[in-house]
Amino acid sequence: MLGKLDWSVIPFGQPIPLIAGAVVLVGILAVLIWVIVKGHLPYLWHEWITSVDHKRIGVMYILLASVMLLRGGSDAIMMRIQQAIAYQSQGYLPPEHYNQIFSAHGTIMIFFVAMPFVIGLMNLVVPLQLGVRDVAFPTLNSVGFWLTATGALLVNLSLVIGEFARTGWLAFPPLSELSYSPGVGVDYYAWSLQISGVGTLVAGINLVTTVLKLRTKGMNYLRMPMFCWTTLASNLLIVAAFPILTATLAMLLLDRYLGFHFFTNEAGGNVMMFMNLIWAWGHPEVYILVLPAFGIFSEVVSTFSGKALFGYRSMVLATMAICIISFMVWLHHFFTMGAGPDVNAIFGIASMIIAVPTGVKIYNWLFTMYGGRIRFATPMLWAVGFMVTFIIGGLTGVLVAVPPADFMLHNSMFLVAHFHNVIIGGVLFGAFAGFEYWFPKAFGFRLDERWGKLAFWFTFSGFYVTFLPLYVAGMLGMTRRMQHYDVAEWRPWMIVAAIGMAVLSIGVICQIMQLVVSIRNREALRDRTGDPWDGRSLEWATSSPPPVFNFAFHPDVRGEDAYWDIKIHAQQQSLEHTAPEYHDIEMPRNSPTGFVCAFFATIMGFALIWHIWWMVILGGIGAFATFVVFAWRDHDEYVIPADEVARIDRINLEERRSLVSMAGAI
Amino acid sequence: MSDQTHARTEHDLAPGEEEQHSVGERIVGYVVGLGLALLLTATSFFIAGTDLVWQPSIPVALIVLAIAQMGVHLVFFLHITTGPDNTNNVLALAFGLLVVFLVVGGTVWIMAHLNQNMPPMDQFIRMHS
Repeated sequence: MLGKLDWSVIPFGQPIPLIAGAVVLVGILAVLIWVIVKGHLPYLWHEWITSVDHKRIGVMYILLASVMLLRGGSDAIMMRIQQAIAYQSQGYLPPEHYNQIFSAHGTIMIFFVAMPFVIGLMNLVVPLQLGVRDVAFPTLNSVGFWLTATGALLVNLSLVIGEFARTGWLAFPPLSELSYSPGVGVDYYAWSLQISGVGTLVAGINLVTTVLKLRTKGMNYLRMPMFCWTTLASNLLIVAAFPILTATLAMLLLDRYLGFHFFTNEAGGNVMMFMNLIWAWGHPEVYILVLPAFGIFSEVVSTFSGKALFGYRSMVLATMAICIISFMVWLHHFFTMGAGPDVNAIFGIASMIIAVPTGVKIYNWLFTMYGGRIRFATPMLWAVGFMVTFIIGGLTGVLVAVPPADFMLHNSMFLVAHFHNVIIGGVLFGAFAGFEYWFPKAFGFRLDERWGKLAFWFTFSGFYVTFLPLYVAGMLGMTRRMQHYDVAEWRPWMIVAAIGMAVLSIGVICQIMQLVVSIRNREALRDRTGDPWDGRSLEWATSSPPPVFNFAFHPDVRGEDAYWDIKIHAQQQSLEHTAPEYHDIEMPRNSPTGFVCAFFATIMGFALIWHIWWMVILGGIGAFATFVVFAWRDHDEYVIPADEVARIDRINLEERRSLVSMAGAI
Repeated sequence: MSDQTHARTEHDLAPGEEEQHSVGERIVGYVVGLGLALLLTATSFFIAGTDLVWQPSIPVALIVLAIAQMGVHLVFFLHITTGPDNTNNVLALAFGLLVVFLVVGGTVWIMAHLNQNMPPMDQFIRMHS
């Protein structure tokens, strides 16, 4: 009746996951009770959970990513403490728990922090930058988000019900096969990635279509802001690469559930085929994450230098080159598998070549700053911190792209240091820059600069103190994922790294403080103009937060840096005072489809993990029925009358006119 | 909701959006496509089982027929044309083909060289006996 599920799967003997689980559960219950008692539930349901507004969905993506960042971060703290004290001793984490922690850390940080954070920012900003009212498929957008949330929920469920994978974040066979991992850990891993993978794929399709098909008047491809270009490239990669992940995990699941032999050692299976396929997805994935970050830095650097982006066209070219070459380098993750010099050399050279367009981008940002009037606001600090950090990570990357060097460094702490250097220094710094930069747009008030700068400096220095020692430990021969070790030379570096982790944690606390302080002072920090940073692209042309329809009129774009042009013209003509003629606007209706779909997907995923077959069928039918009901809908749009549009838009116009007249008076 | 789409769709059709053709014209197109597809399928089965052609050429012939089959599907059923209204579709197809070529070709190449750094098995066994 309940498959493999019984009371023994709850780890009563292990205090750490149990207490953590209990704390989280109490927290969730407290929030839920508070929401219900205060009567916020209808608001939450109508305005957020069922919302198909790209801005709201973007905010929810980022919220999910932030919560998961705390979860993945606590895993990281536990690992750093373990390695600092586990010299010639067992430390405080038993091996099977430690193995789950590093697996969960990687899985969560990539799939449920980095991915939702960048997808959230793209969702929030891209339609605004393109000057349109929504993404191409608004309800699909909501489905994508909720399926991602399902994946995150399943991963976290494994904390208290059963166990998580002990196989590392990519679950390499044969370890992840049934004979070596008979528990439900790998199933939790695989099913949550399968479900959230569907969510990511639909988000990718949605954003590609949005950029290709929905642009405002005059927004040619070569007038799009850089962030739109990197969004296009990144989502093309999602559409091309995520099916590979789905197929690979499907084969692993067939091995585990139905006795197939794709990746087993016996009966003609080939373990290396899994490495090959998973990295054919895995390497493009790296660029899926970092390309949007490059886009964010392009926007930030250009805005805070007060200059148009240097070498816009070369930047576009570099982005699209990375998009293609990222599919030609995946073997560098397994140089050591035994292929000969010809294969290794080709992929090694391709890996070095991909550093070239990235270098082009770095120079473009530097030249954008050169001669500019630079304002070191928090987003700009993150951008400059990124440039410094990412160059170091890029150089160590080129180093491990050399096969003989890779043979020495493969699977070592050097590699761990390298990819944290590029992912934290690239993606996370980018996500934080975007968060600080677009927060006023999303919520209508700026974030506190003092706490923001503190957060930056603690995170920045904490990052170096944590990860530079890992390079050294790797050079000293320390391999990754060690639960304990007996080599005295490694110990001091592990202790330094743990101290760095403490500094990094202060950075995270500052970030939380920044949010708290800013919300408290929101009246003082209110952004009335919609353009708090003196921005250059169209998202700043509307109010903060933007009305549900984004723009009362579709902006007419006449060149790059669309909003900058509008501002120049407005100052010259001192804003024409003609009353514009407003029209009705049709917007997509909110729909619970995404939430209900994900609800059934959660049931189905959970049942699949625990082999509860009747529940699998129930969940499957439910999800399909939801889709059918949505497909049969009669009304999917509602009309905002012209008067209402006019009322909302006039408030914004007044604010802006007063701003321009003030600027004129000076 | 999106009046901006209408301005663009003149020269840029999404997959599934049809240009204005009369029903008759479209039926003719589908029937021609079906005929060609059936012809190519029948030819493939015929070639595979016959001894009328030079035997080693059969695999190559089958590959050629398969590629022609894909072409027929793309042109008659998926309506990929070279017209200016089809740029996105053609580019998407090209990108897809490129990625499939890179991943499939790369995989075959990689897996064929999987054991290049291993000593030959007989030598290995001799070493350990």
